[in-house]
Amino acid sequence: MERIAISVAALFAAVLVGGAFVFVSGGVASCRSGLDIAGVTFCYNPMQVFYELFLGALGNPLQGGWSPTNLSLAKTLQQTTLLIFAGLSVAVAFRAGLLNIGTQGQLVIGGFVTAITVVFAEPIVPGGLVGMLVLIPLGVLAGAIGGGLYGAIPGALKAYADANEVITTIMLNFVAVGITSTLLSWQFQDNNSTTAQTAPVPEYAEVPTIPYIGFDERVDFSLLALGFAVVLMLGIAWLFARTSFGYELRTSGIQPAAAAYGGVDGKRMTVATMSLSGALGGIAGAFWVLMVHGRWLKNVPSIGFDGIAVSVLAGSNPLGVGASAFLFGMLDSGESAIGSTTNVPPDLVGILSGLIILFVAMPEFFRMIGTRYVDVRSPEPARADGGSVPDDDNEATDESGGEDGG
Amino acid sequence: MTKPGPGTTDGAELAAGSEVDTADRGTGTGEAGTDLAVHLDGITKRFPGVVANDDVDLRVERGSVHALLGENGAGKTTLMNVLYGLYEPEAGRVVVDGTEHGFGSPQDAIDAGIGMIHQHFMLVDSMTVAENIALGNEPTKWFGMAVDREQIAREIDDLCDRYGFDVDPEATVEDLSVGVQQRVEILKALFRGTDVLILDEPTAVLTPQEVEDLYDVLDELTAQGKTVIFITHKLEEATHAADAITILRDGESVGTVAPERTDREDLAERMVGREVLLEVDADPVTTGKVVLSTRNVAVEDARGVDVVSGIDLDVRAGEIVGIAGVDGNGQAELIEAITGLRTPDAGTIAYEGTDITDWSRRRRIDAGMSYIPEDRHERGLVMPFDLVENSILGSQRSPEFAADGRIDWTAVRDYTDDLIDTYDVRPPDADADASSFSGGNQQKFIVGREFERDPSLVIATYPTRGVDIGSTEFIHDRLLELRREGVAIVLVSSKLDEVQALSDRLAVMYEGEFIDVTDPDAITEEELGLLMAGQQVDETGKGASDAGTVGTNGGESR
Repeated sequence: MERIAISVAALFAAVLVGGAFVFVSGGVASCRSGLDIAGVTFCYNPMQVFYELFLGALGNPLQGGWSPTNLSLAKTLQQTTLLIFAGLSVAVAFRAGLLNIGTQGQLVIGGFVTAITVVFAEPIVPGGLVGMLVLIPLGVLAGAIGGGLYGAIPGALKAYADANEVITTIMLNFVAVGITSTLLSWQFQDNNSTTAQTAPVPEYAEVPTIPYIGFDERVDFSLLALGFAVVLMLGIAWLFARTSFGYELRTSGIQPAAAAYGGVDGKRMTVATMSLSGALGGIAGAFWVLMVHGRWLKNVPSIGFDGIAVSVLAGSNPLGVGASAFLFGMLDSGESAIGSTTNVPPDLVGILSGLIILFVAMPEFFRMIGTRYVDVRSPEPARADGGSVPDDDNEATDESGGEDGG
Repeated sequence: MTKPGPGTTDGAELAAGSEVDTADRGTGTGEAGTDLAVHLDGITKRFPGVVANDDVDLRVERGSVHALLGENGAGKTTLMNVLYGLYEPEAGRVVVDGTEHGFGSPQDAIDAGIGMIHQHFMLVDSMTVAENIALGNEPTKWFGMAVDREQIAREIDDLCDRYGFDVDPEATVEDLSVGVQQRVEILKALFRGTDVLILDEPTAVLTPQEVEDLYDVLDELTAQGKTVIFITHKLEEATHAADAITILRDGESVGTVAPERTDREDLAERMVGREVLLEVDADPVTTGKVVLSTRNVAVEDARGVDVVSGIDLDVRAGEIVGIAGVDGNGQAELIEAITGLRTPDAGTIAYEGTDITDWSRRRRIDAGMSYIPEDRHERGLVMPFDLVENSILGSQRSPEFAADGRIDWTAVRDYTDDLIDTYDVRPPDADADASSFSGGNQQKFIVGREFERDPSLVIATYPTRGVDIGSTEFIHDRLLELRREGVAIVLVSSKLDEVQALSDRLAVMYEGEFIDVTDPDAITEEELGLLMAGQQVDETGKGASDAGTVGTNGGESR
C-alpha cells in the first residue's frame, strides 16, 4: 500500500518539478513568442508539453476517428511490452538482493541468439503456420537461454569468486556488445545490407498480430506479445507468492542469514536468480528481434537500462512492473511527439524520467509529508477502563498528540 | 548485600498499587516527605494498539537500589525511557529531586542528573576508555581549541578512587571484557554528573563473577549517595541487590515490596499473575543410541585462528547435553558446524551413525535436525515477513507444506495458528510482521516452530534468552518432554541455573575447547562460574562426571 502511494506521489512530484524545469529552461531558450515576465521571455509552456506528451503517447481521444488502435498507442504498447520483460528481469534479481545492471547486455545477447537461431533454423522448418508455431517459440526459447547463460556468468562470479555483481554486470554489458559485433562481422552479417545487422527472419517468424484488432500497421506491435508479457508477469508474481523457490528467493533478498538458516544454498540461489533474470532480459531481446525489427541490429536501444527505472518505480513488484512499464512506454513514445510538435528539446522528457527515479529513491521524504497530513495513530486512546482520567490529563494527551504529528 | 534500608515506599501492601497512585495524585510537587530522588506519578504511555504503561507510579528513594521487575513486555524499559526523556508520556508527571520535569530529550534528562546504561553498550570500540568516557563532554583548554586530556585523566582517577573501580583509562575498549566495559559505561555516566543511574538488564551479558562484582559496584554507588534503578526479569537479582522492588505486569504496577518481606515464589506469582513452578523436574531417562557424534572438530575464523578445536561430543537419544560458557568462546562456531551453516576445518560430524560433515543445511533439516538459533533477528526470523511466512522457514520445501514446490498457504496458516496457540505467542496475530513482536514472543514462536518439526535432534542455543519466567517454564517443560520422547538435545546457554537444572551432562567451553565435562549435579554454581572463566577446578569436582547416565567420551581435550 505504502509503496503504491510513494510511487504515485513520486510521479506527481516529478511532473511538478519537471514542469518547473521545462518552464525555467524556456527562459534561456530564444523564441519569437512566449510569456514575458520581468523582461525575460519564457518560451516553453509546461502544460503544453505534458499535453503533447499525452497525445503523443495515447493519441487524441477527443479528435474524430480516434480508436484505441491508433499509431501513438501502438508505439506506447510496443515499448511497454519490451519494458515489462526488462523490468521483470531487474525486479527478479532485486528481490533476491542482487542488483542486475546487466539486463541490457543479456538483452543484446538474447536477441542475437534469437536472430541467428531463427535464421539458421529457417531452412529446416517448413514455412507457413507450422513455421510460425515452431520458429517463434524456438526463437524466444533461444533468447531466454542465451540471456540466461549470460546472466549466470555474473551470478557465478558473485557466488564463487565474491565479485560484486553491480560491477560485473555493468562490465559485461560492454562485453556483450563486443561479442555480438565480432560474431556479426565474422559470420552473421546480412550480405545484402551495409548496416550492421543480421539477415532478416522470415516473415512468418515475426510475432503475428491478431486479426480484426488491427493496430496501426506502421508500428510493429503485436497484442499477442503484450499478452505473453502480461502472462509472464503474472507467472513471476505467482512464483514469488506461491512457490518454495519464490519464498527462498525473497528470503535471500531480505535476510541472507535467515535464508541460510532455513536451508537455502546461497551460492546456488545467486546463480539461479541471475540466470532467471538474464533469461527475462534475453526474452526482451527475443521480442525486440521478432516483433520490432525482424532481425538483430547492432544498434540496440537502451531497453535494458530503462528496465532498471521500471523496476525501481514498481518497487520490484512484478505486478507493479506492468503499470510502471506502461508509464515509461508513454514517456518513450511521447518524447518523439514533443520533438515534432513543440520546439521543446525532447531531452527534457529524459529529465522527467530521471526525476521520477530520484523521487522514488527518497521514500522518507514522502513518509515525512505523509505523516504530517495523515494521522497514522488512532485518535482514540486505547484504554480499556476509560473514565478515570482527569480532564487536565486529557488535554495533555491531545497536546502531545498534536506535537507528535508535527 | 541487602541493606536494612528503607523498607518499602508505597507501603508493602502491594496489590493496591494503582489505587494508591490515584489517591496520591494531585498532592502537588512539593510533597516528598521522604527523600525521593525520582518520583514518577501516574505515567501512561501508549503506542498504537498497546498501552505500554498504564498509570504507573514509581517512587525511588535517594541512595537506594531500586529494582524494576517484570516479564518481557511488561513496560519496564518504556517506563525508564520516559524517565530518560526518550518518550513523552501521554499522562503523568516526572519528578526528579522534587522538581517536576518535562524531558523532551535525553539531554534534558542528563542535565537533570539522570544517566541510563542500555543493554547494548554505547561505546566506541576502537577508542580508549578515557576517550569514551569524555566523549561529548570533553573539558577543553586554550579557549576551546584543544581537549584537556590531563583533566580527563585526573577526573577519571578521582572517580575510580572514589568508587573503587579498577579500570585502566588508556586501555582500548575492544580489549576489555564485557564486565569492565559495563564499568566504563557507569564511569561515563558518573563523569557527566549523574545522580540517578538507570541500568537496563545489566546482568544479561555478565558471568556470575562479574554479576557479583556489579553488586559491589552498586553498593559503592549508593554508599556515595547515588541512586540506582535497574531493570530486570530475574528474581534472584531483584531480591539480592535491591532495597526495594517495584513489579510491573502488563504495563501496570502491581506494587512495591521490600526484598526481605518477600520470597521468590511470591515475586514470581506477582510478575506472572499465576503460580509458577520454579524448579524443573528432570527425572532420569534411559538414553538410547548416539544421535550426534563429533570427532575432533575444529573451526578457524577468518584470520585463520582456531576458535573451536578438538571437540569430541556424543549426544544420545533421550538426553540433554548442556554446553555452558561465556559468549564468544566458540560455542556459536561449534553449533554452526553441527547445524551445517559452516564447514568445519577439521574433524567429522556424524548423525545417527552417518557421516554428515559434507551435508548441506537443507539435508540436515530434512534429516530431523532442529535448531533454535542464537540470533533471532538475523537468523531465526525474517523480520519483514509475517508469522505465517516465518512458520515455514526451514520447512519451505517439506512435503507437508509444499508438495511439488508449491506452497499450500492454507495449511501453513492453520499450522501457524496452532503454533501461536500452543506456544502462547502474544498478540496472537498471524498476519503481523515478525518485527512487531517483543523479543520474548519472537523467541516463543521460533521455539515452537523448531520443536514442532518432529525432530530427532534439537540444538537449542539460548532458548530462553530474553524470555520471561512464565514462558521459560513452558519452554523448559517442552524440552524435557522432547527428552522423554527420546529426542537428543544440545542445550547451549550462559544461564547457569538453566544448564544445570536441565542437562544430564554438562560440558564447559572455554576458548574453543571443552575444558570439562561433568555431571551437573556434582558441581556448584561457583565452580561452574570459575570453569567458564577458564580456571580448572580441582579433581574432586569432576570425578563424578562420567559415572552418570552417560558413558563414552567425556571429550576432555586437555
